[in-house]
Amino acid sequence: MEKETLIKLEKLNQLRLDDTQKISVIDFFAKRDSEMEIINSIDTKNTERMVHVMPILTVVRDDVEKKLFTRDQLQKGAPETMDGYWQVPRLVE
Amino acid sequence: MKLFTAETEVKTQKKVVLDDMILTKDLPTCAGSKMLDGYMSLFDAQVVTKLSEAQIGICGKANVGEFAIDLLGETSYYGACTNDGKLVSASAEIVKTGKADAAIVLDVNGAPRRAAAQSDLVYIKPTYGTVSRYGTIPAACSGETVGVISTTANQCKEILGIIAGHDDKDGTSHADTVCQKIKTSSEKITKIALISAFNVDSDTAAKIDNFKTVIEKSGVSCHTVEGEKLLCARVAWNILMSAELCNNVSRYDGIKYGHRASEYTTIGELYTNSRTEAFGDLLKTAILYGSDTLSTENYMKVYDKALRIRRVVAEYFDELFKEYDAVLLPGCSKSFYTEKDIETNKYISFEENACTAPASITGLPAVVAGGVQIVGKAFSDAGLLDLAEIYEKGGK
Repeated sequence: MEKETLIKLEKLNQLRLDDTQKISVIDFFAKRDSEMEIINSIDTKNTERMVHVMPILTVVRDDVEKKLFTRDQLQKGAPETMDGYWQVPRLVE
Repeated sequence: MKLFTAETEVKTQKKVVLDDMILTKDLPTCAGSKMLDGYMSLFDAQVVTKLSEAQIGICGKANVGEFAIDLLGETSYYGACTNDGKLVSASAEIVKTGKADAAIVLDVNGAPRRAAAQSDLVYIKPTYGTVSRYGTIPAACSGETVGVISTTANQCKEILGIIAGHDDKDGTSHADTVCQKIKTSSEKITKIALISAFNVDSDTAAKIDNFKTVIEKSGVSCHTVEGEKLLCARVAWNILMSAELCNNVSRYDGIKYGHRASEYTTIGELYTNSRTEAFGDLLKTAILYGSDTLSTENYMKVYDKALRIRRVVAEYFDELFKEYDAVLLPGCSKSFYTEKDIETNKYISFEENACTAPASITGLPAVVAGGVQIVGKAFSDAGLLDLAEIYEKGGK
């Protein structure tokens, strides 16, 4: 894997790795890439994708509005709140 | 060594411990991660509701590896659990030492199966969709299931009987008539395929031989099958698990709940610093790998391939089940792991999941007993537990 690709992935996933972690992740990717041979040796051209392990029908529930939790309950675990709102840094400079 | 992340007094006759991937409104649920340290859910998981209705007490929450993707809980923010220099799973250790009658766990990457195999406990990973996952912390939803660890097959059967059943709140839950099938054995297991493709240490090989010898006394026949196709399940499961994990943990950004970094100036820095500080190395690597497999460049050649391999594995099991009633695999390749194994290879859980990946990727039921794993047809859970009971009784 190219270092640039890793930087792109870090940015995309909102993560930051130090240099030691970067080396270790690149090693991990190399190992996984080499293992692709195991599955690439199996011809799957005529095999359909299997997304769900069991045939499961989409559950359709009645469209009924339910108020499960209050704002206070929902904000109980919030890192920072102000006047009933979740507090975040200024978005527009 | 922190076995419990939270503990409570229980007055009921029977008590269970929940692993820390299962939400409880009266006890914190942390998923072994700094991100959710001290997190209090607003509701109970469906399995918790069902256990309470059956008067089963919950004695606490067991330490678990970060988002349950590791070997035996070693990546937990609260530290690894060891016993006599060996890595142990907190849930299994709690059951083994009699602090709980059973443990209810979320089986994402096979950790409970490895734990039960190494601790000589009984474990059932039920057929996918028969136990509600409502209120479990999502990691790799297409294959993860709620399972039960206990000391006997009968105890597993009893607890499974309580927690299995349809749940409207879980979109992958089977109809109740289907879920009930796992509670009664429809056919007896008489012929087993013993897979020889997995490399195992001598102690594990001895456990397999012993299991075979004991159950053969009851008239069950075991036949060696190479089963090389099952080896590709690990590679495909690593791809699918990482991709799903990457999506599922994208919700943790330090805004509405969870860890928030103390230093940031912009919203972007808040997200990045919070996630960088709170997630461990294994999880970060899995997120990056999952994200890469879903990229435009890799989607078809990696992710799509893994979905097709899932069908290849499922069809291979179907082939085996035409001739055999169940498939016997090792629960893991070694009889124990040490912290040195993790120091040498911190991604060991992406390699040592070879024996557990076939059942994870196909959603088939798997029972661990006598240190081995038996995978059965969908909904044959009770039959697998009957076999475990036969083993417990020395083949009688």
